[in-house]
Amino acid sequence: MRHVAALARLRVSEEDLPALTHQLSRIVSYIDQLKEIREEPRSEPRLSATPLREDLTLPGKGREALEENSPRLLHDHGAVPRVVGGVKP
Amino acid sequence: MTTGRSRASSEGSSHDDHPPEPHPGSAGRALKEKAAGVVSIATDVSSGRRSAVEVTREALSRIARSDPGIGAFLEVTEDQALAEARVADARVAAGEKLALAGVPIAVKDNMWVAGRKATCASRILEGFRPPGDATAVARLRREGAVFVGRTNMDEFAMGSSTENSAHHPTRNPWDTERIPGGSSGGSAAAVSAGMVPAGLGSDTGGSIRQPAACCGIIGFKPTYGRVSRYGLVAFASSLDQIGPLAGNVADAARLYRVLAGEDPLDSTTSPEPAGNPEEALERGVAGLEVGFLAEAQVEGLDAEVAENLADARRAFRDAGARVRDISVPRAPAAIAIYYVVASAEASSNLARFDGVRYGPRADDSNLLSLYVESRTAGFGPEVKRRILLGTFALSAGYYDAYYGRAMRARQLLLEDFERAFGQVDVIVCPTIPTPAFRIGEKVDDPLTMYLSDVFTVPASLAGLPAISVPSGLSRGRLPLGIQIMARRFGEETLFAAARAFERAIDFPNDMPPGVLPGSGNGKR
Repeated sequence: MRHVAALARLRVSEEDLPALTHQLSRIVSYIDQLKEIREEPRSEPRLSATPLREDLTLPGKGREALEENSPRLLHDHGAVPRVVGGVKP
Repeated sequence: MTTGRSRASSEGSSHDDHPPEPHPGSAGRALKEKAAGVVSIATDVSSGRRSAVEVTREALSRIARSDPGIGAFLEVTEDQALAEARVADARVAAGEKLALAGVPIAVKDNMWVAGRKATCASRILEGFRPPGDATAVARLRREGAVFVGRTNMDEFAMGSSTENSAHHPTRNPWDTERIPGGSSGGSAAAVSAGMVPAGLGSDTGGSIRQPAACCGIIGFKPTYGRVSRYGLVAFASSLDQIGPLAGNVADAARLYRVLAGEDPLDSTTSPEPAGNPEEALERGVAGLEVGFLAEAQVEGLDAEVAENLADARRAFRDAGARVRDISVPRAPAAIAIYYVVASAEASSNLARFDGVRYGPRADDSNLLSLYVESRTAGFGPEVKRRILLGTFALSAGYYDAYYGRAMRARQLLLEDFERAFGQVDVIVCPTIPTPAFRIGEKVDDPLTMYLSDVFTVPASLAGLPAISVPSGLSRGRLPLGIQIMARRFGEETLFAAARAFERAIDFPNDMPPGVLPGSGNGKR
């Protein structure tokens, strides 16, 4: 559970761990009924390809709309924390 | 089958632990008429009999009166709604023909409406202001609709009771101690309580149909690809679909006609012509092959629901349909498939909420803990459970055993439906396995909560159009619903069947007791 939480970028408190583990185990046991389904050789999912559209430049929503959701602006650009080279798994 | 009341057998059912009570509002019933419907309002406003502003003011006053006891709305945008109503009036005056002239609509909080917030009832999207309308919203606006507010939902549409909102639970207008269903419970309750004639919801595994059934209204999920998902915050992209909640089948058909269509902003929308579901409404079901889902008629089905299903069978037969049983052998596996596929897609879609681009950001100099702390503080317990489940199903060593297997089973289910639709035109089953349960009853038991969607999830996995139509009341006077499913893109047949069933059942048109004076309002 701790490993999955780390992959999911979530922290599970020690206090919540037993209940959460119990709930997820029950769900996973329920899901395990899928093992009973007899698969056929052709039962691979048929994924339809996403159609392509023409590569066109279209007007965006405008800078104001983006600025409205930017907590901080720096030199007229949205400023975010540094996100490259920072995470060591 | 004309009373709209299910004749339940005397063997009690597990959910109903109290004797039937007299209708609390029989005296007040006549005092409170239901609000006018979508088609009726659009006709009146188009002809100048009423103005959009007048209709909007009435909706706003109904909300002000009833919502304190229900909690359907997260925000009522009164000024913007009145401004939109004035625009609709001006357009009508200028001679424009608008299919939804002046129709007040409640929008689930996971869709973009220009100038309003959209937070998915989650703390992690607090303060987010969408950069414009969702395509679905824009299409309604183009036809003169008015947006009165954002409705409550299970956080990120994950839930079947609207208890997973970060704000407050929504109450069922039929019994305010009970859930309205979910995740589109706010929109369903608002329509059921007569606050608005219609609402927009989104349906991933039943989130339109299940609350519609719990609240005694119509809920329609179109074929996957009929309605653009642009501007709908993604939960599970291969399943999510926007659709209407409304008071009657004709109103749902009108909304669907406006919503459907290809959109360059969503490449999964279909170029398939939407047809005219409104013209198909009165086609009837004479000669139609109606299959009753064999896998739903099993031992253990709630006695009242089983009885109601038998009534529905008689209603279809009496209306001239050819009724038979039909098997979709893998349907019972749908919940297991769904909780792998939907959770996997959710874990991936919700990875973008990392504290960097949206919502509150945990204050931390270390990037990893910024992600972890923002997400841990921002998401509620059910969303975390689904993310964890999805992350597990996609993780190295488990991917094929869970995600791979679920996708193969989904394909088999799809083929089951294809075979079934070779023999019948529509497939019928209950929408909900029991009437609405009590608030708090299932919050600590996620698996039992998930099983509330046992009848709605199969159509979601197969991308089929499906509608829930009220089918009667339980002994405890709670609504029951019948679900009708059709072939992909078979909306015309679906609406014809739904309308015929609606007419046969004659569901009571009273205001639900929970919104009548002295019926326990204000307990929120």
